[in-house]
Amino acid sequence: MDKETRRSYKIEVWVTAICFAIVAIFGGFFSSVVVILNERFFDRVPTPEALVAAYGETMFVFKEHLTVWGFPLHYFLLIIFSWIGATIIGAIWCIVMDRLEAKQRA
Amino acid sequence: MEPRGEVFILGLILSIIVLLISVMISVWARRFTRTLGDYYVAGRSIGAFNNGLAMVSLALSLTTFIGLTALIIEGLYVAVAVYASFTAAFIGLMVLAAPFLRRHKSFTTMAFIAERYDSSTLRYISVIVMFVVSVLYLGGNLKGIGIVFFFLLGVPEVVGIVVGGLVVTLYVTLGGMYGVTYNQTFQSVVLIFCLMFPVAIVLRVIGASGWYFPPLGYGALVPEMTQAVPHYFWAMVVHPVTYIAIFIGSFFGIIGLPHFVMRFFTVRDAKEARWSTVLCVFLVGLVNTTVYATGFAAVYYMQTQGVDIPSAAYDYVVFILVEAMAGEGWLALAVAGSVAAGLSTVAGLLMIMGAGLIHDLYGEIKKDVDDDKKLKLSYGAMLVVGVLVIIFSLNPPEFIPEAIMWSFGIAAAGLGVPIVMGIWWKRTNKYGAGVGMVVGFLLSFYCWLLIGYLGMDPVEIPFPFFAKYFYGPLGWIKTFSVIGPLTFIITIVVSWLTPPPPEHVQRQVEEMHGWVDVDPKRYNGKGLPITIIVLSVVIMWFMTTLYDQFPK
Repeated sequence: MDKETRRSYKIEVWVTAICFAIVAIFGGFFSSVVVILNERFFDRVPTPEALVAAYGETMFVFKEHLTVWGFPLHYFLLIIFSWIGATIIGAIWCIVMDRLEAKQRA
Repeated sequence: MEPRGEVFILGLILSIIVLLISVMISVWARRFTRTLGDYYVAGRSIGAFNNGLAMVSLALSLTTFIGLTALIIEGLYVAVAVYASFTAAFIGLMVLAAPFLRRHKSFTTMAFIAERYDSSTLRYISVIVMFVVSVLYLGGNLKGIGIVFFFLLGVPEVVGIVVGGLVVTLYVTLGGMYGVTYNQTFQSVVLIFCLMFPVAIVLRVIGASGWYFPPLGYGALVPEMTQAVPHYFWAMVVHPVTYIAIFIGSFFGIIGLPHFVMRFFTVRDAKEARWSTVLCVFLVGLVNTTVYATGFAAVYYMQTQGVDIPSAAYDYVVFILVEAMAGEGWLALAVAGSVAAGLSTVAGLLMIMGAGLIHDLYGEIKKDVDDDKKLKLSYGAMLVVGVLVIIFSLNPPEFIPEAIMWSFGIAAAGLGVPIVMGIWWKRTNKYGAGVGMVVGFLLSFYCWLLIGYLGMDPVEIPFPFFAKYFYGPLGWIKTFSVIGPLTFIITIVVSWLTPPPPEHVQRQVEEMHGWVDVDPKRYNGKGLPITIIVLSVVIMWFMTTLYDQFPK
């Protein structure tokens, strides 16, 4: 493997790994993080009596100052990451692979 | 929701127009079919724009209209997390598989596995897995069309199933992949239009200032919603591994679902495969976020107007809202959109089942049969599969999104893992892939059988060590976070312990990545398999943690 080919190979593997890791975070791990860091996104409040059976004595309400365009931050990030974020990451990966492909053909 | 007592003429007319146009497109597309390659992969001539739209309609099955809103009303965070994962999964499919599969030049997932692993046995196994996941995925999509006809158009359900089934069988049989592709393109446009416009009207009526852009148009109503339903945006506290399980099911399931993968065999080249996926992700995200807006509008409407929609009718909430706030004209559009969504998914599934039957099963048994004969047989096989599907749909399992999620889980273990490993690690051989596929498929099928079909409590199923951790709401989804990683580990370990694949098989990996030369070191290191094993063990361990912190 010559130097240039080796470089192309490394770019392919690493760009793919990074893009995959980012969309995996967008598409799965971020949802977990919100649950793990519950207290950062939500305030614990007493549960209204009608809901105690379902949610227990206390429940969570999103922090009012953590909003974007009116949406709770975690919700906004979840939908934007998985939609616009994933689209942008996909487009970046495509551009890199288009260039690599052109090199391979050359 | 009560069934309509009378026939909804306008809705019926629009739905019939959708059905007629679908058949006409196929009749028109038939002229392009000359060879077997034309019939199954549209002569590998589809462009990125067409393929992207076709993928959108394949991705947005009837669950988009029936099912997702019910999930949102019952638990917004989990519903959004599931669909966020599903949307992002297309990028996973692209970076891990799409362009590489296109370069491989197979017709189907099953052919790819057979050729990559140089094994007829694996072809047979993958055909079985394909039929199971396709039937599960199908389970109810056609029934869903029947439900739409019955509840919304006032036409008996059986008429809907038979008419819808015959139309889709006719256009798949006649037009082959050209017909399916152009139809899916048309259906995508119809369903995006028929969902977004009525929902925009609904948002305008409930007072959303950004109604003209439904995905993000209801932010101003959030404070009022929070007053009425304080916990609406609460991240429903299920164990965080649940979301990782959803990620595993979505990302590797979508790679394993053969009707999605088949779309990449139809495009002109790897570049078109890549860009079609980007378009698909953008549009699928647009539609899904619009459905979140519908769920929001439904809860907001119920809570602020004091309207009671019974939980049994949550599935139809899109239609209930549109009828109540936008009127019958928009309702007719939404119904036509849902019919289009149902047809496109059924068509994709029929196509892959027909291809599996003739190209992979019959073609493998009778190797001396030429392509012309296979083409003639394909028309007959497609017709037979279509009729069988209609008969099955007359008494199918309930239409539930869970069935589709199970099919993702089974496809991830049974087909997704060998595809990904076959592309990215040369050392993966037929023994490792075979044992991984069989164990992964049987384990996930077993879990579906006990939990999804027989209705057992997930914590009570016989599943050594892990069963007690399948607790809580959506506990069954956690099975994916054991079976997926286990399949990866088995595939890697068995491949390591057995002889490497022959050189001509390893060469395929280089070709899939576009290299003209061969280098034994490429895609052959130890870094990837070790990383996968470590991550797999961590995910399985993670499930056993935090046991006392989440509701059982």
